[in-house]
Amino acid sequence: MTVTIDRAAKARRPRRPAEARESDGRLAFWLVIPSIVVLGLVILYPVIASIVRSMFGDGIGESPFVGLQNYANALWGLGAADFWGATGFTYFVAAVTIVLETLIGLAMALVMNRAFKGRGILRASVLVPWAIPTAVAAVLWKWAFDPAGIINALTGSTIVWTGSEIPSTIAIIVADTWKTAPFIALLILAGLQVIPDEVYEAAKIDGAGAWQRFLRITLPLVRPALLVAVLFRMLDALRMYDLPWIFTHGSNGTTTLSILVVQSTLSQLKPGYGGALATLTFVFIFVTAYFFVRVLGVNAVESVGGERKERKR
Amino acid sequence: MRNRNRIAAAAVAMTSIVAVALTGCSSGSSSADGGVGPITFASGKDLTGAMPQLIDMWNKKHPDQKVTFIELSASPDDQRNSFIQDFQAKSGKYDVLWDDVVWTSEFAAHGWLQPLDAAKVGSDAVLPAAVASATYEGKMYGAPFMTNAGLLYYRSDLVKTPPTTWAELEADCKIAKANNMDCYAGQFNQYEGLTVNVAEAINSAGGSFLSKDGKTVTVDSPEARAGLQHLVDMFKNGDINKAAITYQEQESANAFLDGKAMFLRNWPYVYTAASADDSKIKGKFAMAQLPGQDALGVSSLGGINLGVSAYSKHKKTAEAWVQWMQSTEAQKILVSVMNQASVLSALYTDPDLVKVSPYLPTLQKSELTAVPRPQTPNYNAVSLAIQKNSYAALQGKVSVDAAITQMAADITQALK
Repeated sequence: MTVTIDRAAKARRPRRPAEARESDGRLAFWLVIPSIVVLGLVILYPVIASIVRSMFGDGIGESPFVGLQNYANALWGLGAADFWGATGFTYFVAAVTIVLETLIGLAMALVMNRAFKGRGILRASVLVPWAIPTAVAAVLWKWAFDPAGIINALTGSTIVWTGSEIPSTIAIIVADTWKTAPFIALLILAGLQVIPDEVYEAAKIDGAGAWQRFLRITLPLVRPALLVAVLFRMLDALRMYDLPWIFTHGSNGTTTLSILVVQSTLSQLKPGYGGALATLTFVFIFVTAYFFVRVLGVNAVESVGGERKERKR
Repeated sequence: MRNRNRIAAAAVAMTSIVAVALTGCSSGSSSADGGVGPITFASGKDLTGAMPQLIDMWNKKHPDQKVTFIELSASPDDQRNSFIQDFQAKSGKYDVLWDDVVWTSEFAAHGWLQPLDAAKVGSDAVLPAAVASATYEGKMYGAPFMTNAGLLYYRSDLVKTPPTTWAELEADCKIAKANNMDCYAGQFNQYEGLTVNVAEAINSAGGSFLSKDGKTVTVDSPEARAGLQHLVDMFKNGDINKAAITYQEQESANAFLDGKAMFLRNWPYVYTAASADDSKIKGKFAMAQLPGQDALGVSSLGGINLGVSAYSKHKKTAEAWVQWMQSTEAQKILVSVMNQASVLSALYTDPDLVKVSPYLPTLQKSELTAVPRPQTPNYNAVSLAIQKNSYAALQGKVSVDAAITQMAADITQALK
């Protein structure tokens, strides 16, 4: 699409540049309108409706306007213990899983990036966990973590994994890491493959060892891909729902923000309070992602620019 | 210019089509046929495969008032969500719905269900506890269709007479220990089954959760503490295996079926698997009423009521159909083909049926004393409050006293 438009524009531009640009703009506007309308209907409308609904009370019959009462309830009122508990757990699990998944994913990607026999099979098999639907993976791991399951059988322990807080959290982290490390590996692998071999060869000639090459070449060059992968994972992990729900039904302090939203909205039929929780979750995730992009994203650009300047000098 | 107008018109037309599609489904017409005509019946997944048989029997007799079967998910939560979405859209897509006993109050309070004539669907032939489960603020909002109560499964090869009190149960646990088995299994994972088990313990000790009108919290009592204490003690002294904190119905049934547990609290359905030819415990088990604190205990009541949607366009037919589903003719299919417990007292002593399901007289006794779970429009929030606090006590994280105090506070908040 864009290619043909660009070509057409280039062809016409020499003749009547201003007019052509204007009519192109107008055409683009009308072409974009349907997508904007659809996006508005499926994204903007629900978000606004949820925010509006969160300003109204819950109860049988009419729901009165209560302003920010639902937010106050969640943040420092009757629901505060549940809300902050869920926030703490969600962020804790997100942080731990992202660190683990990034390290494991990076290692997987480095292995997959090497040329050796059977690489295709390895690549395919590493991706299997990611291809399994989360709900199915959760059930598999629930069986593995059963008191009479394979994990206790192999380790000889008698831990009731989904029966108390720390083991439940560990089980969830293990299952999530198993499931999504391949995703990070895949994105990093894509980043690794665009690094030209010449750079490594040059470094080798200059006498750089394997560790130095990894630190000085691989890491900086793969960083953009890595950051994107981590950002994706962060957005995903902060709205985690299915894994803890299937493992523990939110018991043992493993209620995530999403579980809390679903519990309030659907199970307890409190769309107002649930709407407030959903909006808060949205804001938390948005702010976290924004900071992530601001802090790490800006630094990445600056450091690349800085290096260039140094080199010129 | 002309081009732009045409595109603009197309865009406007597209938007309005979408708008119509979004709003169009909520339009309804008033019935000009006196409420008689074809209806739909939405139920949970029909695991027995016998529902079409029941519906055919009705359809043959009433060709002008055909019932169409809509099969929903097997998960109760999903069923409830489907119903609520239908109610909120006021669509009346489901004329008659399969209404778990714990939803009836909620649906009725929202005005989603049509009140039914108690003389027709709540007669003396129907078990009183089932009638109570369909009643909200003095009116019946469903026709009891299926009922259910918990029973004590025990190993009759090890225990000659089943325990009637908790003290007797705990005394029998020595036998389990001697045989290297767990003594007792039930449902203690944090989910609806825990509410059922805790409610049975608390009710059996003479405690309760809510006042009769469902408006006052009554759980903060010595009786409720005694009930919860019983379960906590059994966890502490190992009579209940600590792995049982993860048990739902099936896991607990498996423990009994594998010969790992001597007593099991469960619904009647386990009988089928336990008495099957390949069962390890075939002929070695029996069923009794649940034990209680000083005498026999009381069960929580399960079951299904058939509700008529307030948005149904053929309410007359719907009312006639739910009444028919309660008739002896239909209920016999329920017992003999679907293997479920009937709401009609008479069917529990029917010799033919008892031959197939020998536990029926015991089940009837259990149902006659069964207590519905707290009846309130905010049932799910109340149930979550019961689950969370009793679960913490079973884990030994909080004392029974603190758990009950907090439970009372959480239920009070849930009722708001």
